Amino acid sequence: MLQFILRRIAISALIMFLGSVLMYVLTINSGDPLQDLRESRAENRDQLMAARTENMGLDDPWWQRYLGWFTGVSRCFVLQCDLGTARDGADVNNLLLSSAGASLRLVTIATFLAIFIGVALGVLSAIRQYSGFDYTITFAAFLFYSLPVFWAAVLLKDFGAIRFNNWIADPAVSITVTALVALLFALAVASVLGGSLRRQVVTGLVTFAVVFGLVFAFDQVQWWVQPALGLPLIIVGAVAALGFMLVMTVGLSNRKVTYAGLVTIALGLVSYFVTGPILDDPSGWLVILALTAVTVVVGLAVGWVMGGYERRTAMTVSVGTALGMAFLIFMDKLLRGWAGFLELAGNRPVSTIGENRIIPERFEGDFWEGIFNWGVQLVLPTIVLTLISIASYSRYTRGSMLETINQDYIRTARSKGLSDRVVFTKHALRNALIPITTIVAFDFASLLGGAVITETIFGWRGLGAMFRLGLDTVDPNPVMAYYLVAGGAAVIMNMLADIAYASLDPRIRR
Amino acid sequence: MAVVAAGALALAGCTSDSGTEDTDNAAEGGGGDDMEETEGSGEESEGDDMGGEEGSTAKADLGEVTTNDDNVSFSSGAEEYNAYNGDTASTNSTYNAVVNNQLFAGFWYWGTDGTIYPNEWFGSYEQTSEDPLTVEYTISDDAVWSDGTPITANDYLLTWASSNPESLGGVDALGFDPVSDTFGRYVPEAPETEPGSKTFTIVFPEPYPDWELLVSSALPSHVAAEQAGMEPDELAQAILDGETETVAEVSEFWNTGWLFPNYQVEDEALVPSSGPYTLEGAAWESGNQLALVPNEEFYGPAPATGNLVFKFAAPETHVQALQNGDINVIEPQATVDTLQQLEGMGDMVSVETTAEMTWEHLDFNFAESSVFNDENGGLAAREAFAMCVPRQNIIDNLIAPINPDAQIMNLREKFPFQEDYQEVVDAAYDGRYDQVDIEGASGMLEEAGLETPVEVRIGYSAPNQRRTEEVAQIKASCDEAGFEIVDAGNPDFFEAGGTLESGDWEVALFAWAGSGQIASGQPIYSTDGGQNFGGFSNEEVDEAWNTLASSNDPEVHMEQIKVIEKLLWDNLYGIPLFAHPGVTGFDSTLENVMPTSVQTGVSWNAEQWVRAS
Repeated sequence: MLQFILRRIAISALIMFLGSVLMYVLTINSGDPLQDLRESRAENRDQLMAARTENMGLDDPWWQRYLGWFTGVSRCFVLQCDLGTARDGADVNNLLLSSAGASLRLVTIATFLAIFIGVALGVLSAIRQYSGFDYTITFAAFLFYSLPVFWAAVLLKDFGAIRFNNWIADPAVSITVTALVALLFALAVASVLGGSLRRQVVTGLVTFAVVFGLVFAFDQVQWWVQPALGLPLIIVGAVAALGFMLVMTVGLSNRKVTYAGLVTIALGLVSYFVTGPILDDPSGWLVILALTAVTVVVGLAVGWVMGGYERRTAMTVSVGTALGMAFLIFMDKLLRGWAGFLELAGNRPVSTIGENRIIPERFEGDFWEGIFNWGVQLVLPTIVLTLISIASYSRYTRGSMLETINQDYIRTARSKGLSDRVVFTKHALRNALIPITTIVAFDFASLLGGAVITETIFGWRGLGAMFRLGLDTVDPNPVMAYYLVAGGAAVIMNMLADIAYASLDPRIRR
Repeated sequence: MAVVAAGALALAGCTSDSGTEDTDNAAEGGGGDDMEETEGSGEESEGDDMGGEEGSTAKADLGEVTTNDDNVSFSSGAEEYNAYNGDTASTNSTYNAVVNNQLFAGFWYWGTDGTIYPNEWFGSYEQTSEDPLTVEYTISDDAVWSDGTPITANDYLLTWASSNPESLGGVDALGFDPVSDTFGRYVPEAPETEPGSKTFTIVFPEPYPDWELLVSSALPSHVAAEQAGMEPDELAQAILDGETETVAEVSEFWNTGWLFPNYQVEDEALVPSSGPYTLEGAAWESGNQLALVPNEEFYGPAPATGNLVFKFAAPETHVQALQNGDINVIEPQATVDTLQQLEGMGDMVSVETTAEMTWEHLDFNFAESSVFNDENGGLAAREAFAMCVPRQNIIDNLIAPINPDAQIMNLREKFPFQEDYQEVVDAAYDGRYDQVDIEGASGMLEEAGLETPVEVRIGYSAPNQRRTEEVAQIKASCDEAGFEIVDAGNPDFFEAGGTLESGDWEVALFAWAGSGQIASGQPIYSTDGGQNFGGFSNEEVDEAWNTLASSNDPEVHMEQIKVIEKLLWDNLYGIPLFAHPGVTGFDSTLENVMPTSVQTGVSWNAEQWVRAS
């Protein structure tokens, strides 16, 4: 395995290098870097042209300019990167730092969300092939796949920002809307769970009642402006997380593992009260990270102690449950910050442009309110990017899953008497995921490129803006910085995909 | 900073587009663009509902203002502010000007119709002699930089020196990189003053009609002096004494020290303010927004709002941002779609349309190959073309939907919204091309002795939807008269080596942006002028321009403008069409937002914007 990874790294490095040469040469030949000065009527035009020629080394041959850039970049290995300066004298290191953070945050979140949701939808629609759910997902997938980004983004800004802000000023959900939302949920849940018509009707009715009641209750307590989960919902959520972990591993009937999970939830309850004061206003993300680490350790310990001969599974389930519960507690605290943030933002929480709602230097809220300050700005662009990639993920997963389900070994597994759960999670899903990993790798890189439009419309000064600026001014340094990130991401993601491939499919390792 | 205000106007230069002016043209704008400005106060002929005093084109007198702690935001586009010194060749741009306009106060400002108004609280200036023209400037005793240093003649000495005057050794010895050298060219000797004095006198050996635009605000010379290791008065004395080497020591800092390459103010001590707002204590979120804060030491009328926020957002995001309250004042592309969008937002948003100081026109090509050359069709062919161009139709169909008050523009050096427009029209133009006259045009074409159909290529910088439609309307009308109009719009029309230079056009369709200067039309209309693209040549016109440019007397200017306009109509240099419409949208709760025709844009009086409490 190690040899395999090393070989992959070596190949990746070579690709990066050749790509950078190509990119550099293409960029410096893409136009005339002195164009704006040639049209200038300034009296010191020649002096300006000479100065720029000198600064950018325009008289040097291409390989010399490339070597100059490469020398600066190769110092990255001693942690002294020098990406050069842009034409106007801006330090590209700084430029990259300030823009890469925003873009990568956006793209990473969007990618993970898209993978998670897309794969889940794909699997579900494959299992319920030719059902109403399947058709709906297929229709939606094609709709989103063919959606022009700029148009979707503008629409989303209208509904997600302008109208949402208008609504949140006096939030009320009419009975009709409540019923509609409940109906949609009921249809979705009933068609996903499937079964006989009678069973579907019952599931639908129950879901309708629950969702209707929840939305109605939320509306009554003004949950939209002062939301919280509260202990009961956290417990319900934690039990659901435990259920999910069990279904994905050993099934609900395994007592030992189930008990381990339940003990974890109990410990989580204790910690809810113990860590409460710390979480009221933590000093920073380090505190959150430390608490997460503690959570994992506790989960592992519980699994170890209670697991018996199924120690490994018990540990996995405990840790999963613990993390799920920790996430819910985190969300509870976060939601409690919403009211304060609304006040700070003058009841218009979502801005249509920018990476922060309020200038960070002027922001006076606490830790939780601070998350909203950048978090809300992340929501709409993330939705745009996610919607577009979900479509492809769900289609590929569905196709791949259907192919796997129809394989002989699946029939064999079924004829052995294995339950649907085991057949799908143990035998089908894992095999179906192999082709998806390749797509994920490509998709991450193309998302970085596609984010250029999204960034512009949402007023983000990300990598895309830097790339465009560099191209417009025929200035190789910003373009190459973009290349390093985008190309680097593509190569690394491909490498990760290969490694994931290898672990999913042992035959590839040889 | 002589050029701050003048530069802001000249910025747009020759625009080939309707809405956004690009910076390439800014460099061209430097000295000689276009257009005209009126003496004295003018009545707003538009009848727009302006804030403050009804009908005035000056800033409203708000009385005693107490600064609140509200936020008001504005965006001029995605380009980020990057220079405190907006007077260098590389930093003179609209996006720097909108911010710097709030950081520097000067002797005067532009009213909404291009009138020059004095800032009495800053200082005063008066002509003390007419020949040679001598102007004495007095800075108010209260006027100080935000760091407490008085604003003195030292600052204006540096302004003069930074234009590389020959008497100080010129550009090679001094090394300043200014966008314009006008100050040093027209005022060859250093201003007469003492270091640290509140008054200074400048002398123009040659007549210069636009002398008033030359001096307004200045950069802080004490900061530049300290950075070069000098006492402030030492630098001033060196400039007065003509010590080139000493003065040259500050040019490096002047060129590069007042820039923000990393989009952050790294040393606030270097960027004091003389205007209502300051960068000291401002919040700058790189790539997104810059919030200016009030200048505590300001000696003029206090700014109304505590945080003036400039957002760096792409124009296509502005309309939705206005609706959501993220940007409170916008100047979107003036299209019917945008206008409808803004009007559809109801009471939350106010919309105003104005005529801008940018005007569209058709210019003839006088080159030998052109049918309009005097050897070919000549004046008769030009008259035939002028008769068939449906000017009123173009305005009714393309401009009136945006600006209902739009009217045909019948002059080149005055705008319809300016006070003395009608007076010049009466003297220069008898309305002979107001109505389309197809029969007359056919007759003239016959008289010109050209074989019909006469091919006329109308060139413009494409893509530009409005111009495409203008050409289509001209074609519909003129083809009947015996022309064959060809839409010759292409993307590189204005570029170096493009269609305009190669001469493959008979009529050019583009716009000039008014620079507010009096004599800036000279290079456009005189023989071999730098912006006389069609090669028009007429001795009487040249003569009139020379008379105008060599006088400082507004009456002479007016008289010569009438002569010039009449000659340009009689000889048909080209056909003026209309002033570009402008749209401003703003949050209805804001008071004192006053759209302007001038290129400075609506943020010219941003320090007065305030949300009604």
